[in-house]
Amino acid sequence: MNTNSENPIFSSYKKNQSLFDEVFDENGASKEVYRTLFDLYGKHSIKEYVSLNNKAKASFFNQGITFQVYGEKETKEKIFPFDLFPRIIAPHEWEIIETGAIQRSRALNLFLWDIYHDKKIIKDRIVPMDLISSSANYLHQMIGLDPPGGIYNHISGTDIIKHADGKYYVLEDNIRCPSGVSYVICNRTALKRALFGVFNHYETYTVTNYAENLLDILESVKPHGVDNPTCVVITPGIFNSAYYEHSYLAKAMGVELVEGRDLFVENDFVYMKTIRGPEKVDVIYRRVDDLFIDPLEFKPDSSLGVPGLFAAYKKGNVCLANAPGTGVADDKAVYTYMPKIIKYYLDEEPILNNVHTYHCSRPDELKYVLEHIAELVIKPVDESGGYGISIGNKLTKEEIEVVKKQIIQQPRKYIAQPIMSLSVHPTYIDDTESFEQRHVDLRTFTLLGKDKDFVLKGGLTRVALQRGNLVVNSSQGGGSKDTWVLKK
Amino acid sequence: MLARVANNLFWMGRYIERTEHIARYLNVNYFSSLDAPNQLSQSRQFVLRSMLFMIGEPEKDDNVVLNEEEVLYNIGLNPNVPYSIISNVKYVRENANSARDVISTELYESINKFYHFVLNYDVETFTKRGLYDFTVNVTEMTAILRGKIRGTLLHDEVYAIILMGLNIERATQIIRIINAKYHDALKAKGSYGDTIANSFEWVTLLKCAESYDMMRRFYKKTPNSISTLEFLILNSDCPRSVMNSLNQVHKHIRVVDQSKHPSKNSTSFLVSKVKAECEFKYAEEIEENVQGFIENILSNLVLIGNKMEKEFFNY
Repeated sequence: MNTNSENPIFSSYKKNQSLFDEVFDENGASKEVYRTLFDLYGKHSIKEYVSLNNKAKASFFNQGITFQVYGEKETKEKIFPFDLFPRIIAPHEWEIIETGAIQRSRALNLFLWDIYHDKKIIKDRIVPMDLISSSANYLHQMIGLDPPGGIYNHISGTDIIKHADGKYYVLEDNIRCPSGVSYVICNRTALKRALFGVFNHYETYTVTNYAENLLDILESVKPHGVDNPTCVVITPGIFNSAYYEHSYLAKAMGVELVEGRDLFVENDFVYMKTIRGPEKVDVIYRRVDDLFIDPLEFKPDSSLGVPGLFAAYKKGNVCLANAPGTGVADDKAVYTYMPKIIKYYLDEEPILNNVHTYHCSRPDELKYVLEHIAELVIKPVDESGGYGISIGNKLTKEEIEVVKKQIIQQPRKYIAQPIMSLSVHPTYIDDTESFEQRHVDLRTFTLLGKDKDFVLKGGLTRVALQRGNLVVNSSQGGGSKDTWVLKK
Repeated sequence: MLARVANNLFWMGRYIERTEHIARYLNVNYFSSLDAPNQLSQSRQFVLRSMLFMIGEPEKDDNVVLNEEEVLYNIGLNPNVPYSIISNVKYVRENANSARDVISTELYESINKFYHFVLNYDVETFTKRGLYDFTVNVTEMTAILRGKIRGTLLHDEVYAIILMGLNIERATQIIRIINAKYHDALKAKGSYGDTIANSFEWVTLLKCAESYDMMRRFYKKTPNSISTLEFLILNSDCPRSVMNSLNQVHKHIRVVDQSKHPSKNSTSFLVSKVKAECEFKYAEEIEENVQGFIENILSNLVLIGNKMEKEFFNY
């Protein structure tokens, strides 16, 4: 089928043959799983489509589903850009993602237990000692501490891409406070409102069951001796960029959304201040970073945390999800050892591929990196949100020299990976009034509890809206798509 | 419910109600003055001063000539003064944000739309020709908010706290409006026999409280000072009256504090006491000393607010 002549909203769809297009094959025909969808969308005139698109945007804006962008002068409220053309994942592909994501979460959990206890993996020389000793996210306070249920990473966000070879690769694991899940649900709602007709043609898994599963997971790791645990979500406050998500999760779970100042600790138990006086809190889903949770134990000037919280945690009187100190394991340097870590703890082959990584801390790999910057992506190991990433083939000669200098100064801080070609997906672009190819990735959400696990059947497909851009983070101007996982 | 969130809900209710009264006061005073029966009531300066008096920023110097556009801008859309409508709507939304997990999606969406409506209203349009459109829209949107509060929230303590805020504010605003119009009536005496009792300002007052039609139905006579005060303060069937507001506050405090015999230091006790005092007043008694009554009830309302803060919002 010729995509251009018959479908006005695909008029400017230029297919770059070197990229992996998820919807169209080499000949420009839509792939089996997308055929019905493409036919339905193709029927719209540009005018109709623009009107639908605006309705979807207004729906987000009116509901206040926005995030703050920290600019130089003022903080602006923006809608998370949303594309109406959903991404579809076929059942057999989803199975790989789901089992792979659970496998990684389990392995990371065992790894965390080990490095905060016997450190067998280091003694067995699978990973080097300096991976931990030089990591700013390794919390000595967590050494020897047993988190309730033995779980560290209750909530994991795994960022996955589809490479030019059509295979899925993990780009990174996020096991501190991964965000984005509320947008998965909002995207679904917005799409249903705008294009309810298309859902009849596909059997898609629901995504609205995330909150109930999250509550199950949180309740499963209740402190010893508690029958009906009181769970809460703790947020840094209304000015946090993910505040909407925090309030959504609390509302959807039917639990209180607290700030640090709402909690206090007495005799190593945690209480929240209600209109009827103190009420004991048993499980805290925290969306506050490690170093801010307790000024007595960590950053003394933190006003976001609760003095004494860590002591209560240490006594086992309260559960924190995720556990403090998980950041050491989603470090981009640890990432490179993931195949070995999975093998070591689970005795399994990794289901999802890892991207080959060069450690700048190793002299021979450092040498390779410095010589091949133009072909590599350079990432700081301890940053998130897409900050500090340099993409080699986008740099000028001068910029390359700057990056080289930075790496030489702090080799431990950087890793390098070959530039992965993220798959592309048709995305509506306002300027050209047409769909165009844009790079996408997928963040999946995995929950791990005591004898329970759950992967949200869907996830956040993030889109890099600028042509040719590979960075999809919302803080870098990325958008998102609804993601359909089809039933078998 | 968290103490902090209760505080936010309480103030959300108050600011919603406050916004409405300011908007209606602007609207009614401005437009009824256009064809008022006496010169003073028609005077722009008189109306602008009345507006400033009502929002609590009275112009004390009699010789100052007020600029209409400036006054309207300040009360309507000036984001840098705390008493403006735009600031009040911002406070509504800020408080709703902090309590976003306990209020309904529907209520939040209406608040958010309201906020964006006010935020995006063109200043020049407003001060030159949009006063009617803007204030009518604002009062209607607050009515939507009250509808969403009533219809999309569980009638539990969350609802009770919001309604306490709303009704304490309503009583406060009605009293403030009575105070402002009483001042106006002292200046612009009636067109029939030149007494304060028959001032045109009583009609305006009733309209400011959206109670003129109700009042006509009840008394079937042109309002005078006694009947207006009686209706707006003491008539418990009038949904805008001080008495009705106090009854509402009383009803809702009993949801939050269910003790059989509230202690003498509790909010519940104080509310009952203030309510009872008002219940056994009569209009002639109030008219003898309107100023004294106004000051007394206002200070009681402040006391109730302070008590609530101490008892429930302590965090």
